[in-house]
Amino acid sequence: MSDATLTSLTGAVPVRAADAAEPRYRAHLDDPVIYPNVTVASMTDRVCAITLRKGPYLWWWLAFIPCLALTALLVVAIAYLFYAGIGIWGINWPVMWGFAILSYVWWIAIASGGTIISALFYLLRADWRTSINRIAESMMLFGAAAAGIYPILHLGRPWLFYWLFFYPNTMTLWAQFRSPLLWDFWALMTYVLSSVLFWYFGLIPDLASVRDRADSRIKQRIYGVFACGFRGSSRQWRHQRAAYGIMAALMAPVVVSIHSIVGLDFAGAATPGWHSTEFPPFFVCGALLSGFAIVLLLIVPLRRLLHFEDMMTGRHLNVLCKLLLTSSICIAYWYLMDAFTTFYGGDRAERAMFLARVFGPDKLVYWGAILLNCLLPQLFWSRWLRVHEPAIVLICLGVVLGMWLERYDIVVTSLQRPHLPSAWGIYHPTFWDWATLLGTIGMFLSGILLSVRYVPVISMHEMRTLIAQKNAAPAVTERT
Amino acid sequence: MNRQASTFWRSLEQAAADPAFLARAAQEFPGLAQALSEPLERRQALKLMAASLVMAGVSACDTKYGGELIPAVEIAPNIIAGLPNCYATAHVLDGYASGIVVKHLMGRPVKVEGNAKHPASLGAIDAYAQAQLLDFYDPDREAQINARAQPSDRQSLQAALAMQRALFAANHGKGLRILTGTISSPTLAGQLDALRTQYPQAQWTQWEPVSRDAVRQGARLAYGQVVDVIAHLERADVLVAIDGDLLSTAPGRLRYARDFASRRNPTRGPMNRLYAIEPTPTLLGSVADHRFIAEPDQLQRIVGALAAGILQNAPSAMPEWVGAIVEDLKAARGRALVHVGADQPAQIHAMAHAINEALGARGATFDLIDAVAHEPIDQADALRSLIADMSSGQVSHLLIIDSNPVYTAPASWGFAEALKQVPFSVALAGSSDETALSSLWFVPKTHDWEGWSDARAYDGTATIVQPQSLPLFGGMSAHELLSLYTGASPLSAEEAVRSTWASRLAGDFARGWREALANGVVPGTASASSTVRLRADAVQAAPVSSATDAALTLLFRPDSSLWDGRYANNPWLQELPRPLTKLVWDNPLLLAPALAKRLGLQNGDQVRLSVGQANVLAPIWIMPGQAPHCITASLGSGRRAAGSIGDGIGVDYYPLRALSGAVQLHKEQGHSQLASTVHHNLLTDTPSEILRHGTLADFNANPQFAANRIAEPQLYRRPPPGPAAWAMSVDLNACIGCNACIIACQAENNIPVVGKAQVLREREMHWLRVDRYFEGEPENPQSFFQPVLCMHCEQAPCENVCPVGATVHDSEGLNVMVYNRCVGTRFCSNNCPYKVRRFNFYGFGEEQHRPPQSFNPDVSVRARGVMEKCSYCIQRIAEARIVADREGHPVGEVKTACQSACPTQVFTFGNLADPDSEVAKRKASPLDFAMLEQQATKPRTTYEALVRNPNPAIKGQGT
Repeated sequence: MSDATLTSLTGAVPVRAADAAEPRYRAHLDDPVIYPNVTVASMTDRVCAITLRKGPYLWWWLAFIPCLALTALLVVAIAYLFYAGIGIWGINWPVMWGFAILSYVWWIAIASGGTIISALFYLLRADWRTSINRIAESMMLFGAAAAGIYPILHLGRPWLFYWLFFYPNTMTLWAQFRSPLLWDFWALMTYVLSSVLFWYFGLIPDLASVRDRADSRIKQRIYGVFACGFRGSSRQWRHQRAAYGIMAALMAPVVVSIHSIVGLDFAGAATPGWHSTEFPPFFVCGALLSGFAIVLLLIVPLRRLLHFEDMMTGRHLNVLCKLLLTSSICIAYWYLMDAFTTFYGGDRAERAMFLARVFGPDKLVYWGAILLNCLLPQLFWSRWLRVHEPAIVLICLGVVLGMWLERYDIVVTSLQRPHLPSAWGIYHPTFWDWATLLGTIGMFLSGILLSVRYVPVISMHEMRTLIAQKNAAPAVTERT
Repeated sequence: MNRQASTFWRSLEQAAADPAFLARAAQEFPGLAQALSEPLERRQALKLMAASLVMAGVSACDTKYGGELIPAVEIAPNIIAGLPNCYATAHVLDGYASGIVVKHLMGRPVKVEGNAKHPASLGAIDAYAQAQLLDFYDPDREAQINARAQPSDRQSLQAALAMQRALFAANHGKGLRILTGTISSPTLAGQLDALRTQYPQAQWTQWEPVSRDAVRQGARLAYGQVVDVIAHLERADVLVAIDGDLLSTAPGRLRYARDFASRRNPTRGPMNRLYAIEPTPTLLGSVADHRFIAEPDQLQRIVGALAAGILQNAPSAMPEWVGAIVEDLKAARGRALVHVGADQPAQIHAMAHAINEALGARGATFDLIDAVAHEPIDQADALRSLIADMSSGQVSHLLIIDSNPVYTAPASWGFAEALKQVPFSVALAGSSDETALSSLWFVPKTHDWEGWSDARAYDGTATIVQPQSLPLFGGMSAHELLSLYTGASPLSAEEAVRSTWASRLAGDFARGWREALANGVVPGTASASSTVRLRADAVQAAPVSSATDAALTLLFRPDSSLWDGRYANNPWLQELPRPLTKLVWDNPLLLAPALAKRLGLQNGDQVRLSVGQANVLAPIWIMPGQAPHCITASLGSGRRAAGSIGDGIGVDYYPLRALSGAVQLHKEQGHSQLASTVHHNLLTDTPSEILRHGTLADFNANPQFAANRIAEPQLYRRPPPGPAAWAMSVDLNACIGCNACIIACQAENNIPVVGKAQVLREREMHWLRVDRYFEGEPENPQSFFQPVLCMHCEQAPCENVCPVGATVHDSEGLNVMVYNRCVGTRFCSNNCPYKVRRFNFYGFGEEQHRPPQSFNPDVSVRARGVMEKCSYCIQRIAEARIVADREGHPVGEVKTACQSACPTQVFTFGNLADPDSEVAKRKASPLDFAMLEQQATKPRTTYEALVRNPNPAIKGQGT
């Protein structure tokens, strides 16, 4: 790309009249990745207009207030948890891990899907990524945040969580390297920190644009502080692109590592239903599936609400649906292998556990996961459905639910059937389990809504490159 | 008391007149000194008087005991901080004593062990005796004498009794009745005899709700007088148990369990063979080689057939297996024994006596001794006649000592109503129970650990019960209260016991007394064999079979944890999983699977059980191995005035007792949540990697039939370098599922009780559990017990997964849990194949129904959010290590809490590095196997496989 040509564009650009070519609001298979009517200037105007808008959005408040209420519920649930102890949850002996761990895995998968879109497809220079990568990154950020609080809440003595750090202490104690949980903790720390940085590095030039367009002193100050003095010099651009590129190159393996480590949390234990070498890639595929589903769930309404139909087009939906279908097929393969290795291995407890999983008291969970994760996405073989927005929403909701059921199946159902029949048990989540789960959903959506409202929802500087490639004179699109 | 009282202000003037006091008061409270020295106004004087009374009242709280209370500024010479002091005494249940040793730390009782020198214990102890620790410290115990439900005091009681004494002196005790339980205490018996000599018209009645009337009547039928049977199970090759209770409720059960188990492991000697024939599963039936289910009427016919087969050589019309048993018994002449449980009618007992005599068992596998209990009577008849007398106004004064008939007497007999007709009633009870609340006077009874007494064991051996502490809550002992009926001044219980034994101890009394106290047994007091002869007409009393085929029979059994209800306020016992159902905090009706199916009932469904007009609403529990027409109700729950723990727990079945009407069961709406600690259904086949078992034939064919099968090389084999290698062997052949080990572990390791709601959520905390598996047909399965505690794996899966290293291996092979380091990820529990880890979901340790001084100070009380598990009693190992260091020898014998409690010596613990150690020898047994050996955890705890000895002549198991 030509950074130099873009430099001038970060500054205030006079508002132009809307372009003539009317975009089609409904998504179509033959949509371009960006409509020709979108120009650099109109795009910047429209994106900044959301961020700097003075009047309220009705839909935004309608969405935000319930999400905020759920977040408040999360605060209450956490306060009561710290007061009373984790006995308020449904966990028991033998199901020592319950909603906290399964929700953690679920959220981290959602976050990881965002990272894949944002980082991996950045490295692959996929043009459809540009208009949705900010949403994917926000999803990654708030998904990681929702995931990140669980491992601490999950502890019996959460105030001692820092004992998982390596730090010099008077007890001369170190953390225990052989535990997958330790590596999980570190992988999560790495992932959360790098997610924040990745999101932020990509945001700096856009914050600078907003700062320059802000019409009040306060907004200028706030966006100015976060823009870190980005003025669009070629040196700054070089640093920004380098930092972002390095983060993207890091994030792609980190997302694989975080999910492999999460898989190893289970695979590393000798527990029936967990002790399987397929878990790391299985979990990565699960992350892709839920990540694509959530991205679709976010962009389908947002493109309408924010009138971005010309930038988030049928092409985007089509690509994402195809990716979702691919991940679904991968997941189906892992389900098949799970069943195969159980019987191929021949361990009695594993077999008993698997039969209990498939035909036992929680069989609906297993078959629900199969239906929603493996069978439902097969509808995307239909080209028509891949751009049919209501169908996409329904299928993606199904996949998100299905992925949650899969986590439930792995975490809870496995633990209900340990080796000794005398230790078999059953798990019943309590109100507080649900409150915490719903609370994190509220927190995630609140975060997404806040970022839609106050952070440029499309990566403007990358869009400018794309627009320059697609919609401008060939001379500008040359690569450096 | 007087010494303390003299430090109170008797009056304000007295205090005010003291110049030193005034000076002191002026210094601290200038206004007060002025007020005291001035002439008082009326209102001011009243105010000050009220204040001083309040203060005197507050300080009077510690004057319940008459002796001097001086803080231990200088600790008594025999108490060394951190080291235990042990004192022998006895636990008395229904009159029969079992020797115990109470362990004190800094003067506080913290643990109860068996007394190895006592014949009924041999070092073993049951759950009840161990749980006395909580009864002793029970905060619900009453401190206050009550009269007409109003607080009263000792002086008033003495005054009231003085008036009664004057009355008795005039009318020779007419109308005076005394109600107690079964009594074997020579001192108490002597006091009762003296009282009845002094007041010839007074009468004494005994009542125990867990009835042994049939045993006594059976002996009377067979021998013409009440004699006690002492079985010698170690000498019996063939045992037939008819609804047997030798391992669960019979006096001497701990000793019987030991004797029985000594013949159960084929690697240590020839095995015996046990046939159990019973209507409802018992512990004896659960470990039997053959278990046959019989309805009560069938049972009578079967015993009749056995008698016919053995006494008259008559062929029986009964199933084939009866003949096989007869043949087996005959073949083992002089080495066989037929035992009948106390719930069977007297005629069956008489028949069994005759069979045993005919088998030449007397003097070989059993002995007869004179009855241990004082004046054995038919208690049911006696209580009924007492109630009749009470109702007809012939009883003017009723003294109830440590008995709770308002709760335990069959409701149809109307004890509670009759009690209202008695003008003067006194109840001496440990807590304000149902009877105490209905009596005129309630006198709190001191705990057995708070006073002197004596008691006799099943074989007559006497033990002097010595106090372990000053009374915590005040109260009186039975001896003291009885002495107030015969004389004006209360007799010291110690004096009473001493004077009983002054004449009976041979040799120098002071020395003999000291030795008796130190050993916990009085030597030479075991009863001699009785010479009574079997009556010729013993068998002619044929049993009567009343029931028709389809009629239901209701069986009453004492609860395996709560007995007759007396332990209902004990949280350890309430939360002790019942051996066969694993239920806690409840006592549903036990139904056979067939009956439950016919009525469409699931576990926990509510039914209305009616006998004649009376009925109760109760949940049910499906009990495999139950006779199809029998319903078992366990007594002891549904207490109305047990205390804050036991009130309203479970269902009270006493109202249905002793009724003659038809038994009917109706399904009702509703469902109860029943808390059981197992959540699996019947297994068609117990997985062999968990519990290995076979028959004696299997063993003889290949002694290694159960041995470990995998001997693969290991990658990371790092044997711990320490001087000792702690290990345990668990002999499944010996385990009878009695639960003594669970309470021992709970007491030793400060394991919290969590309550029914938490057990329902599967959060019980027992470090040691006894898994029970059923195998085979639900109608009559084989049952197996398997104690499971931390295996202390050499390759422990829990250690690898803890992110903070809170569970680690020590140099002697212990898998230790560092509570302070635990952050509560619970990964260790998930990764434990044996699921022996327990988690503090709440701050259970802080919410116990016991004072802090009752905890074992050598074991930390775990905080909320911390994992815990069996430590192989690491505190006991540490103690042994200190002793070894001090005395300069290698660390010697260590006994874990479960091991020292176990009646059957299931557990052997010790140093595997020492080839001469008992545990090393047991691990060399061909039966030794590791649970889940394919997990390659190399557990230090291994099992000896279960071998059963079925009769090859009998095919299959059941009837």
